[in-house]
Amino acid sequence: MRILFQIRPILAALRSHKTAVLLLVLEIALTMAVLGNLVFIVYGTMQRSHTPTGVAESQIGVIQSIGVIGQDNPGTAAGNIAVLRAVPGVMEAAYGGPPLWYAGANPIFLDPARKQAAAQAYEFQGSQGLVSTLGLRVIRGQLLQQDQLPVAAKITDSTEFPVLVTQALAAHLFPSGGALGHLIYDGGSNPMRIVGIVDHLRGGITGRTNDDYSIVAEYLVGAQNLGGGFMIRVKDPAQLPRVLRAAAAALQKANPGHVQSKLFTMAELRANYFKSDLAAGRMLVAIIFILLVVTALGVSGLASFWVQQRRRQIGMRRALGATRGDILHYFQMENLLIVSGGVLLGALFAYALNLFLMHRFELAHLPSHYLVVGALALWLLGQLAVLGPALRAAAVPPVVATRSV
Amino acid sequence: MFGYYLDLALRSLKRTPILAGLMMLAIALGIGASVTMLAVLHNLSGNPLPGRSDVLFHPQVDPRPADLPGATEEPLDDLTYVDAVNLYQLGIAPRRAVMSSNWLPVRKDAPDSPLAMFTDRATTADFFAMFGVPFLYGSAWSAQDDANHAQLVVLSRAMNQKLFGGENSVGKILVIATKTFRVAGVIDDWNPQPRFYDINDGPFADAEQMYLPFFTWLDLPQDYGYGPMRCWGNDPNAGTHDPKAKQCTWAQFWVQLDTPAQVADYRAALTQYSAQQHQLGRYQREPNVRLHSLLDWLDVKHVIPVTVRMQTWIAFGVLLICMVNTVGLMVAKFLRKSGEIGVRRALGASRRAVFLQCLVEAGVVGVAGGLLGLPLAWLGLWMVRQQPVSFAASAHFDPSMLGIALALAVLSALAAGVWPALRASRVAPALQVKSL
Repeated sequence: MRILFQIRPILAALRSHKTAVLLLVLEIALTMAVLGNLVFIVYGTMQRSHTPTGVAESQIGVIQSIGVIGQDNPGTAAGNIAVLRAVPGVMEAAYGGPPLWYAGANPIFLDPARKQAAAQAYEFQGSQGLVSTLGLRVIRGQLLQQDQLPVAAKITDSTEFPVLVTQALAAHLFPSGGALGHLIYDGGSNPMRIVGIVDHLRGGITGRTNDDYSIVAEYLVGAQNLGGGFMIRVKDPAQLPRVLRAAAAALQKANPGHVQSKLFTMAELRANYFKSDLAAGRMLVAIIFILLVVTALGVSGLASFWVQQRRRQIGMRRALGATRGDILHYFQMENLLIVSGGVLLGALFAYALNLFLMHRFELAHLPSHYLVVGALALWLLGQLAVLGPALRAAAVPPVVATRSV
Repeated sequence: MFGYYLDLALRSLKRTPILAGLMMLAIALGIGASVTMLAVLHNLSGNPLPGRSDVLFHPQVDPRPADLPGATEEPLDDLTYVDAVNLYQLGIAPRRAVMSSNWLPVRKDAPDSPLAMFTDRATTADFFAMFGVPFLYGSAWSAQDDANHAQLVVLSRAMNQKLFGGENSVGKILVIATKTFRVAGVIDDWNPQPRFYDINDGPFADAEQMYLPFFTWLDLPQDYGYGPMRCWGNDPNAGTHDPKAKQCTWAQFWVQLDTPAQVADYRAALTQYSAQQHQLGRYQREPNVRLHSLLDWLDVKHVIPVTVRMQTWIAFGVLLICMVNTVGLMVAKFLRKSGEIGVRRALGASRRAVFLQCLVEAGVVGVAGGLLGLPLAWLGLWMVRQQPVSFAASAHFDPSMLGIALALAVLSALAAGVWPALRASRVAPALQVKSL
C-alpha cells in the first residue's frame, strides 16, 4: 500500500510537465477512440460471419442447371427431383434456391390493395420438398402439406399459396400474436396464407433487423422443364462434396438440354458471401496493430526521456532510502495515472467518433463494454511500454546524487 | 544558414538515436497507413478511360408514373425498351451505343463440343470506337450489321483463349443460344475500372466475355434474364421475362458529344423528346432529364465502396495519432537541449533562429519518416491486393503517390514540430546557462 502514498507527489511532479502529460493523455484518448470503434467493427463482422441462416447448412449443396431454350430436353422438374433423390447419400432434393444466393428482400403487405408495405422480407419459393431440403424447423402451426400445395401447371393470378413465415416476421407483422391463418401479400397477385411458423431463416446476413424476415412457399411441380437452382440435402456432411458431384452428373444425364453453370455447397456459398467483409476486417486489424505499436512507442519514448531527465532526483531518492521497487512503482503508478486520464477522455472521444460513424456509415451504437475492454487494453499497453524505462530508472545507483550533471 | 541548421539537426538526432528513431518510425507508420488507403481511394476514384472521359455522356429520361410511392427526384439509371430504341434512333450524337447484358449458352460448331455459359454484352456498333476498345484480330461489326440483325460476335481475349486456344478465330462459327454466329473480331484485354458503362452489378464488375449486336441479341430465344431489369408498380417482377414491358428499365445508353454546343443541343433534344412523350401520354411526368459526363456520373453514383471511404478516414485518424505522438517526442527532444539552446541564445542567436533550427530538425525527421513510410505503403498495397475484394486489382502504387507521400510526411512532421520549436525558442538563456 506504500504505492498509494506516492500518488500525491506523482501528481505534483506531473504538474511541472503539463505539456508532455497533456500530449500523452491526448494520444491515449485518440487511440482509445479509434481502437474502440475499430474493434467494434471487426468484432461485428466476425460475429455476422458466424450467424446461422437457419437451414441445415452443412448438408446442403446447390446445382444451377440452366435450360437452353430451343434445345430438346427429356428431363422434367418432377423427374429431376426423383433423379436427385435416387443418388446414394441424398436425403432430400427440391427445385429452389438457398439463402444468401441472389438474396434480396421484397415489400410485404397486409392489405390486398398493397398500399403500404408492412415489412421487407426474403421470399423462398420452390418445389415440393423445399422445406425439408432446407431443414427448416416448424415451431408452431404445421408443415406445408403436399395435398394442399398449388399445382404449378394450374397456378393462376388468384391461386392462394400456403406459406411458412419466420417467427421474427410473424412477430413484426402481427405484434399481438396469432399470425397463423392470416393472409399476406407480396408484389405479385397471389395471396399467401400463413399456415406455420419456422424458428429462423435468414435470407441475407447484413446485420439489419429484417435478415430473419422470410417467407417460404412450395408448389407442386410435374412435367414442366424448369431450369435454375436444384438443391440436395445429404445425410452425412462429410460426403457432401462427393455426393454433390454425383448428383450433378445424374442431373446432367437426365437433362442433356441443360447447361450446368454452378455447383457449390452452402459452406462455399457462405465463404464467398463474407469474403469481402472479412477482407475489410483484416485490413482494420492491421490498422489496429499499427495503432497499438505507435502508442506504445510514444509512451515508452516519453517515459525514457523523463527517466533521463530525473536521474539526479532518482539518485537522491535512492540515497535517502528508497528501494529499487519504490522507484519502479513510482514510474508504473505515474503511467497508470496518465493512461487513466487518457482513458476517461478517450471514452468521450470514442462516443463522439461512434456518432460520426453512425451518421456516415450506418454503424451501430457502440456498446459500453467495448470501452471497458479498450481501457483494460490501454492500461496493459501502458504498463508494458513503461516497464523498460522504469526498470532503467530503478537501476540508477544512489551515487548519482553526489555527482554534478 | 540552412546548411548549418541541417548539420546541427543531423548531429542532434545522432546524439539521441532512440528518440529520433521512434519519431521517424511513428511518422513512417502513419504515412504508411494513410498513403496506402489514399492510393486505394485514388485508384478507385480514378478515370476509367483517360483521354475519352470528357466526351462521354450518360442520358437519362423519366418514364415513371407521377404518383410512384417512394420515388426520388433522380430519373432511373437505365432505359425502358421503348426509350432505348427511340433515343438510339434520335441519332444527333456523333456516336451512341445502347446496351445490356446477360449470359448465354455457347458451344463451338463441332460435334460433341461442350456447352457452357458465357457472359455477354449486347450493344451497337459504336461501342468499340466510342470507348476505344483495342482489337487483337478482325474488327467490330458495322451500323449496317446492327440494322440487319447480323449474327456476328466479338470475343474477349480470354474467351478466345478458352475456345480457340488464342488463335485468330475471325470467321469461325459459334452456336450461341442455339443460333449460329460468326466471329467478327477478338479484342485485347479491356476492363475499365470502375465499369462505368454498367454499374448495376457493382461498379467494379468485370467486362463481359463476348459482345453481340443488340437487336440480334433481342431476337434470340430467351429468357436468360435481361441484365439488371428493374420494374416499378405493384409487381416488382412484372417484366422480368418481357424486355418490352412498359414499366421495366434494363438498357444502358451512352453518347459521345465532342463540343459544349453538342452537349447543349443534346440536352435540349432530351427535354424535347420527354415533352413529346408527355404529350403522347406515355410520360406522366414533366420532362426530367439528366446528361451526366462520365466522371460526374461516377460521382453521382458514389462508386467508391463505403468500406474504403471509412478506412481512409481511419487511416488519417492513425496519422493524427502518430502526429500527436511525434509532438510529444519532439517536446522531449527539444527540451532536452535546453542547455545548448541557452548557450546559443546567450551567444546572440535570435528566437527566430532557434525556432528555425528546431523546425529544420523536424523536417529532417519528416523526410526520414516519409522515406521509411514509402516501403510500408508499398507493403500495405501489396496486402490490399492479396485480399479477395472486387477492387483489389486496382490497388497499385502510382508514381504520383510517391510525391504525395513524401510531402505528407514532411508536412505532418513540420506541423508536429511547430509547437515544440516555439516552446524551445522561448527557453530563457540565463537560467540554462547558470545551471550548466
